[in-house]
Amino acid sequence: MAELKYAYYPGCASQSMTIEANDTTRIVAKALGIELHEMPRANCCGAGLLTDYDYPLYIALNARIFAEAEQMGMDIMTICSTCLMVMSTANRDLRNDPALLERTNEVLGKAGLHYSGNVGIKQLLWVLAEDVGLAELGKRVVKPLNWLKVAPFYGCHSLRPSDALGFDDPMKPKSLEAVIRTLGAESVEYAGKTKCCGFQVDLVTEETAEEMTAKRLIEAKDRGADCMVTPCPFCHINLDNYQGLSEKRVSRKINVPVFHLAQLVGLAMGLTPHEMGLSRHLVSPERIIR
Amino acid sequence: MKIRFRIRRCSPVEKSECEPYFQDYDVEVSGGMTVLEALLKISDESDPTLVFRKSCRSAICGSCAMTINGFSRLACATQIIPEYEKMGAMVIEPLKNHSPQKDLAVDFAPFWKKIERVTPYLTPAGESIKAPVTKDDEAAIDASQRCIMCGCCNSECNALEIDPRFVAPAALAKAWRFVGDVREGGAAKRLARLSEEHGMWDCVRCVHCTEFCPKHVAPLKEIELLRSRAMKEGVTDNRGARHVESMVDSVKRVGRLDEASMTFRTLGFLRSLGMIPFGIRMEMHGKMPFPIIFPKIEKMEEIKTIFREMEEGEEKEEKKP
Repeated sequence: MAELKYAYYPGCASQSMTIEANDTTRIVAKALGIELHEMPRANCCGAGLLTDYDYPLYIALNARIFAEAEQMGMDIMTICSTCLMVMSTANRDLRNDPALLERTNEVLGKAGLHYSGNVGIKQLLWVLAEDVGLAELGKRVVKPLNWLKVAPFYGCHSLRPSDALGFDDPMKPKSLEAVIRTLGAESVEYAGKTKCCGFQVDLVTEETAEEMTAKRLIEAKDRGADCMVTPCPFCHINLDNYQGLSEKRVSRKINVPVFHLAQLVGLAMGLTPHEMGLSRHLVSPERIIR
Repeated sequence: MKIRFRIRRCSPVEKSECEPYFQDYDVEVSGGMTVLEALLKISDESDPTLVFRKSCRSAICGSCAMTINGFSRLACATQIIPEYEKMGAMVIEPLKNHSPQKDLAVDFAPFWKKIERVTPYLTPAGESIKAPVTKDDEAAIDASQRCIMCGCCNSECNALEIDPRFVAPAALAKAWRFVGDVREGGAAKRLARLSEEHGMWDCVRCVHCTEFCPKHVAPLKEIELLRSRAMKEGVTDNRGARHVESMVDSVKRVGRLDEASMTFRTLGFLRSLGMIPFGIRMEMHGKMPFPIIFPKIEKMEEIKTIFREMEEGEEKEEKKP
């Protein structure tokens, strides 16, 4: 087994709005023997908006994050798919383009920083599926979730662009389904599992965002899912927090609870709903918890 | 080996009706054979009524784009055996987000309308047409010129799936072809039009267009370039641009994303007021972000240095003759 030691980058959402994802990840990581090391200097990756603003600035600010991890001598683990995509894309460009790396280091140098291009970036899902491994994870399951039908929701940014991420196949991903099955639950197939939740346009065109969120949830529900699980806090914000707004938009009651990945793992490991912060959800999972 | 092709077909009964159904064909395939070759074989040997578009057979014309096992690809550039081995099936359907006319042929009129919307030709002003085009200038728009108009990106686009009026990635990549051209005279006007509703800020960043473009145009990259240019040209009186500005300010101020002030700045005062009842519901679950207690990251001075260096670098770039 790989050394389970990471520079921990929860991302901005999980330091405020979805702090339950952060809290439960720490609890579950500790229980699984995963060391999470703080990154007190880490800035926001920009969530794509810094990329829209100015590409070189986006690259420099992300390289600053990587420089901190490089100093720590660890790969980064995040619990946000958008952070994963934004950082991995910057890292791909820095690694593929020596001139970009050099220009970026000139800027970082003024702040006393340097990045050599040696940091890897992962998310919790990948760490569970590969570094911890499904066999080891399976051994920690004390309360198999064998009554639950779970719809895996990858969202966009843990799969695409695959030339920057390269863990799961964007046409046929399997890690999230494999984790669900390892936890003893049934994984439900449905059309929208690799599609978008709409988060990026929540504040720009809420009509699109709300209808998109509703479509994903309804597709899963119609295929018999009791709940959803997602590795991304932004997807969670739309699917859970804004589910009520989506219901209004499409004039249909949906009522599908949505778990953060760490919460589902924690429940199967025998941690309590209280420890897993389930009361923070707007769509209560109470009725499906045993 | 024999592989079963499951093809979605439809025949217009009346003018606007096209009721889809699936038909199976068993095809003898050999190594290196493409999906298009199999379709030609079906058409030649067993069912001459099967309709699909094709021409060049070498990924240049863009005619044979279709949905293969759920994802948009060129039939002529997709080999059967590796695809079948990976996906365990061979399901062929028309492009998504386009209406089928007959079998695998879809109505491309809405696609062309979107392209027309972005004025797909150079509109010079004054002397702009005489501007010399350097290698770097050409490189800046090079990817967008590789587009073969196959429609794979629009077929995969999740924003278009929900909003048929969305301008969509193919036209946006084309728009960058001209906005990014040093000889163009109407870039600011184009950017203002692209910033309207159903325009470039409605992209949901699902990255499907970039992932599935068979010519590596990477439309999301062009959308980002258009947005950056709009920010630089001061075309910022819209929600998309304010969203970006609020992120930049937040990172500059505290190093992180301050969700509350982002909501307020993007939506404006009145729309934010409308969010209050919903905010109260969120707060009952402890979900309401509060800007006042937002802690800064450590070593904020490094962030300020990076911003200053980038801004100074840009000024130097602009002063160059």
